[in-house]
Amino acid sequence: MSTENLALAKAINLGLQKALADDDRVLLMGEDIGPLGGVFRVTEGLHAEFGGSRVLDTPLAESGIVGTAIGLAMRGFRPVCEIQFDGFIFPGFDQITSQLAKLTSRHEGAMRFPVVIRVPYGGHIGAVEHHQESPEAYFAHTAGLRVLSPATPQDGYSMIQQAIKSDDPVMFFEPKSRYWQKGEVDRDAEPVPMHASRVVRTGTEVTVVGHGAMVSTLLQAAAIAADEGTSIEVIDLRSLSPIDYDPIVESVRKTGRLVVAQEAPGNVSVGSEIAATIAERAFYSLEAPVLRVSGFDAPFPPAKLESAYLPDADRVLEAVDRALAY
Amino acid sequence: MAVSEFPLPDVGEGLTEAEIVHWKVKPGDAVAVNQVLVEIETAKSLVELPSPFAGTVAELLVEEGATVEVGRPIIRVDSTAGSIELQAPGDEEAHGSITDATDPRPRHGAAPAAEAPDAAAASSEPGSGESSDEGGGAVLVGYGSKGGHASRRRRPSAAEKSAAAAVAAGSAGGAGGAAAAGAGSAGSASAPAGQSAHAAPVRPASVPAASAVPIIAKPPIRKLAKDLGVDLTTVTPTGLVGEVTRDDVIREATQASVFRNIQTPEWGEEREERIPVKGVRKAIATAMVTSAFTAPHVSVFSDVNATRTMEFVKRLKASPDFAGVRISPLLIMAKAVIWAVQRNPTVNSTWTDKEIVVHHYVNLGIAAATPRGLIVPNIKDAQNLSLLELAQALEQLTITARDGKTQPAEMSKGTVTITNLGSYGMDTGTPILNPGEVGIVALGAIKQKPWVIDGEVRPAFVTTVGASFDHRVVDGDVASRFTADIASVLEEPALLLD
Amino acid sequence: MSTTEATIQLLSPEGTIVRNAANEPYLPLIDQLSDQQLQDFHRHMVVIRRFDIEAGNLQRQGQLALWIPSLGQEGAQVGSAFGARDHDHIFPAYREHAVARIRGVDPMRIIEMLRGISHGGWDPAERGNFHLYTLVIGSQTLHATGYAMGLGLEGRIGTGDPNSDTAVMVYFGDGASSQGDVSEAMVFAASYQTPQVFFLQNNHWAISVPVERQSRTPLYLRGTGFGIPSFQIDGNDVLASYAVTRHSMDAARAGEGPRFIEALTYRMGAHTTSDDPTKYRENDELTYWSERDPVARYEAYLRARGADEAFFADVATEAEDLAADTRKRTLEIVDPPASKIFDHVYSDDHPLMREQKAWLERYEASFGGEA
Repeated sequence: MSTENLALAKAINLGLQKALADDDRVLLMGEDIGPLGGVFRVTEGLHAEFGGSRVLDTPLAESGIVGTAIGLAMRGFRPVCEIQFDGFIFPGFDQITSQLAKLTSRHEGAMRFPVVIRVPYGGHIGAVEHHQESPEAYFAHTAGLRVLSPATPQDGYSMIQQAIKSDDPVMFFEPKSRYWQKGEVDRDAEPVPMHASRVVRTGTEVTVVGHGAMVSTLLQAAAIAADEGTSIEVIDLRSLSPIDYDPIVESVRKTGRLVVAQEAPGNVSVGSEIAATIAERAFYSLEAPVLRVSGFDAPFPPAKLESAYLPDADRVLEAVDRALAY
Repeated sequence: MAVSEFPLPDVGEGLTEAEIVHWKVKPGDAVAVNQVLVEIETAKSLVELPSPFAGTVAELLVEEGATVEVGRPIIRVDSTAGSIELQAPGDEEAHGSITDATDPRPRHGAAPAAEAPDAAAASSEPGSGESSDEGGGAVLVGYGSKGGHASRRRRPSAAEKSAAAAVAAGSAGGAGGAAAAGAGSAGSASAPAGQSAHAAPVRPASVPAASAVPIIAKPPIRKLAKDLGVDLTTVTPTGLVGEVTRDDVIREATQASVFRNIQTPEWGEEREERIPVKGVRKAIATAMVTSAFTAPHVSVFSDVNATRTMEFVKRLKASPDFAGVRISPLLIMAKAVIWAVQRNPTVNSTWTDKEIVVHHYVNLGIAAATPRGLIVPNIKDAQNLSLLELAQALEQLTITARDGKTQPAEMSKGTVTITNLGSYGMDTGTPILNPGEVGIVALGAIKQKPWVIDGEVRPAFVTTVGASFDHRVVDGDVASRFTADIASVLEEPALLLD
Repeated sequence: MSTTEATIQLLSPEGTIVRNAANEPYLPLIDQLSDQQLQDFHRHMVVIRRFDIEAGNLQRQGQLALWIPSLGQEGAQVGSAFGARDHDHIFPAYREHAVARIRGVDPMRIIEMLRGISHGGWDPAERGNFHLYTLVIGSQTLHATGYAMGLGLEGRIGTGDPNSDTAVMVYFGDGASSQGDVSEAMVFAASYQTPQVFFLQNNHWAISVPVERQSRTPLYLRGTGFGIPSFQIDGNDVLASYAVTRHSMDAARAGEGPRFIEALTYRMGAHTTSDDPTKYRENDELTYWSERDPVARYEAYLRARGADEAFFADVATEAEDLAADTRKRTLEIVDPPASKIFDHVYSDDHPLMREQKAWLERYEASFGGEA
């Protein structure tokens, strides 16, 4: 049982490779995922290894990608779609929400729709418009979908396989700013349950929760806080729908204070839902109201302004200070 | 034969009414299923309605030109066997659904045809709540002008309401209990048949003026109060922003448990219980007798607005200099007593038959209740202590006494004593002098009470300063001035800066 | 009204066989049909029409929230339905009641959808591979294309084994042809050369918007634009519908790639029972099309071929029986339990569904045994 130091993109690549090898009904489909290996190289080498009948370059049509994936799932395949960038999910939004999310229910269980939709998302890469979005909330809000976001290469490797094995539609949001960050991956490790949230750093005074790229920001904030004498507990959500609240509740019972951080705009966000649920489930433990640190409620700005827009460790710590002041 | 009624359907996904434009049949006409009966005009279009029944037209219930709401019957037909009954949404009485008694057609798989009104309620499985609004098997799909279904919330009967109010107002449990258990039989208004006697949601009685001020308490403190059975409206808040703190709740709770009886225990079988007189009890008795029957006691009382003391205490608690030390009104009272003693020296003295020894130091005794009885440890040379040192000394004294570790030396040579009756919940009292002393001050409970401020009655933190004196040494004027001095400090702690 | 020189017709509105260069390749397919099969076309058209009318009446009597009439389109639907094989897969829009019944879907499933009992709920695998109705216009074309892509990936085309080779038919309308998804479906179909027939029923109206607003060019040319061999047929001619569909499905199954058929027909009824066509179309248009009715012309054709009165009476009886049975069974429909809200939202266990289902049960129970 050895561990390798792999980048997130490579870890997901290996997870996809294993899934393709383990089940010949698994298909990859998306724009430029074949010989090019995907614009982020997440599917690199897979077309060469598995061929064009398993790794399909599709026409440039997101609704078409999702809609045909649905038809393929009806035929018994397990399609894994790649939507090239977060901002381009919207042409496919109707097929995802009106069809994919509802088909299991519409069939009253007669058919299964094991479609995975992989979406590189989030900012911090200096990209142009529509290439830095965080649209998770729309999908977490839609019944019938499962929504995941790995923060680490280990989770990237195991969670993509779990998503593919799930018989339900899964939205798989990959934090693109972390694609090249390396981390330990043990391919033989017992996978953590797909929807479990996890404490990744223990602390006693404030709990901070986030997902995807935000998790490393939270760890950075916790390290700074430790120097200042404040002990912060960091939780990686991992799953946005359903959310595993138990570790968060347990943590808040201990610390009495919660800060939720996300790149996405805060208004009507996943963070809002967590705040409301924790207020309900851990009310008597709260020494302070649940605070949210989010992107501003404005369209994602041009890249020169993204550092001002996106929450960083300082913005997280500002909220931590406010929570402690209660 | 049966009489069937045709309620106006919602023909266009959410229409609420229609106008009868033209009847195509008249009473006496034979009609077949699907034969056009009438032309109606809706908000969307002109529509022909086909007959759901076969039979003979008995009566046209609405005239041409009239607008009728969805769900209202528009025609009555004497229908032959094989016709169906239609019920309007929310039509619990199921009027107009008189069925053919011989028709065994099942409705909802529930009651037989003759009990059509009950069929509307049918099964109690989840979801039948919706169907019960639409009636039995043959129903209007649209909801018509009634919109969603009527509320199913149980309205308490008049008897239950008055019982609930009685319970909420804290009146004798008996009345509330009886009404709650009586399923409405207690009152004149009877509860609807078949309803269980579970209590209607009780709303609290009107909030008294004194707690019109909102209670600020963080969720964990609220939970603590709930768990300890403490009513937050009775707790004196001492927090930074006026909130109830954990200490406030615990203090209230421990007071209640120590100084308020919770239960009425049974006497036991013997007619008399005999407790031997010994130890602390014997010592207390001796001291009390000595004191009470040697020194002629006189007591005076003064009510004072102690709001500024409460505010001062709050500020001290917030001060980093006083962090970690218990701060309470007793501290201010202690300082007040020391100050008042310096202005009224004879109160701080000892009577011997030959002479009165006036002490130029204050060994401040604090009466402390312990599980074994009353003891009075004192703080030596309290006049030399700073406010912080005095606070620390008070805290230490309390802890030591509670732990049962007070040494005899600590209990001797006191010069004047404070007894904190307020911590027992009492407003004031007539304390007995500690032997060897001529003055003892009682700190009463500090509560919100009406007080006249600038000519208006307003709530203020009010307390009674009570004190007893040995009249051999202290006459009424000294007693009064001394007591007034203490009261004036409580009213204005800044006097201590003197 | 939208016929062009390319319109393929085998049976005239008067019920006589037409012979010309355009339809010559298809006539042999008709010749291969037995009398029984020819009579079945009529039976299905008449019965489904009667069912359709009964369902409309039930709506007007408050038994259904909505009815979606297929009146006038029986020829296009029955003919094309028989052009597919049992193991082919059919992706309908939401008006193909004749096809549904022919493939084995109990018409009561459609009634239940429109009464608010379900959103479909049948299992295509047990119902002649007839997939659920899709109410978002045009979305099903992508599902059909994806399904057909799957067949291609499995190699279930062009092997020569007629029981293994499989094709997909997808139905959609003139309004749908404007939707982006339909174009994307044709992009993918052409790109992957899927075994698929795009069957467009041009019934000339998308609620109140005439087909001229959807397109300035005959709709069958859309397929041509994507490189898909495309045909226009007289959709009210059940024989043309059958033959051209059969021919196209065979070609698709044989691996020749997708086909596109535009069937010219007419929506004789309203869009749904909430619609009022008197507000936007003229009576003379209805007259024009009733003279081209699929059932009338076919009855004339069968009579000329020697079908007797007993046959037509038998068909009429079957139609009345289905209508009566539909009425009876509609009135007996039981509302589903509220727990249905939560069942089958996900295939795998889901904590939120469990929690909310349990909550609703407790909530309902809290109202006790009251009426």
